[in-house]
Amino acid sequence: MEIFVWSGWLAGLAIGLFVVLHFWLIGKPAGCSTGYGNVCGIMSRKLSYYHEGEYKNKYSVKLWFLIGIPLGGFLSSLSSTELWHLSFDMGMYDAILPQSIVAKAIWLIFGGILLGFGARLAGACTTGHALVGGAMLNPTSLFAAAIFFMSAFITTHLLFDI
Amino acid sequence: MPTPEIDLNHKTEENSPNLSRLQKMKFTIQHYYYSYRTNISGILLGALFGFLMSHAGATTYDYHAKMFLLIDLQLVKVIGTSIVVAIIGISLLKKYKVRAISTGVEVDFVKKKYQEGLITGAFLFGVGWAMTASCPGTVPAMLGEGKVGAIFTLIGLLLGTMAYGVLQTYNAHNKTLERTHHNQD
Repeated sequence: MEIFVWSGWLAGLAIGLFVVLHFWLIGKPAGCSTGYGNVCGIMSRKLSYYHEGEYKNKYSVKLWFLIGIPLGGFLSSLSSTELWHLSFDMGMYDAILPQSIVAKAIWLIFGGILLGFGARLAGACTTGHALVGGAMLNPTSLFAAAIFFMSAFITTHLLFDI
Repeated sequence: MPTPEIDLNHKTEENSPNLSRLQKMKFTIQHYYYSYRTNISGILLGALFGFLMSHAGATTYDYHAKMFLLIDLQLVKVIGTSIVVAIIGISLLKKYKVRAISTGVEVDFVKKKYQEGLITGAFLFGVGWAMTASCPGTVPAMLGEGKVGAIFTLIGLLLGTMAYGVLQTYNAHNKTLERTHHNQD
């Protein structure tokens, strides 16, 4: 489904204002990957790590934030000329990924595992480190964001150039 | 939890006999808003975030490939502009010591600290980013758009997060065992 995309400057301006609005409303930095820890805590009682410390409140604002995101994606897709429908079209990636649906699914699950595990090990994801951490000029976050970009840059070139 | 002051106003107003149905409805909505304001603002902010990610092109697979292959720098423009705008906004919030609307406490600009494994974690995250052309914030938005691939990425994300929790729980358990063993010696 072709989504109507704003110019990079306009979208950047809006997302920058969103980061500030989040601080003003909630009083804490925005983040996405921590909410997944809450989901894991709700799914399993035995995982004591996701029941302690910063995960103590399982129904945190970060969980509700995560629940809200699909709504926004759905609203945005209404701006498309096509009707809402399910699609497994992956654009340029269709040419380099395995062709069978099962192999594609396994590829995406494996990539997702790296995203989830990596984000927890690094402390935050693109939103927490690059966007919000970058906006607070936190050296640790800028360092992590630089590694995110470099590693993804190298991997994308390995995928597409060979 | 409703703050006592608001609750008091709410009760006295509701008990007065000449209150229209519309006003009663208004107070009921206000009551629920004060009880669930963090959850409601969380959902609304999430929806706004998903909408903006989608309209920025961050949920479109090709923009990720085009950015790293240096064909189209749409996403670089997005993240660059947003960081500059947010730096200005944050400095204003700090300058005027603005209080958060949902808590009434001054905004907390808490920064993520360096933790062991950050370099490895960030490296693995980057590989996952390149493999799936998505990140933890865009996957739910892609679900809303009807992208089937996001279902599998989401399963992976939860498995990866779960694996980290298992590892940490196991480590913590071993440490306590070691400590008790040590004390017995």
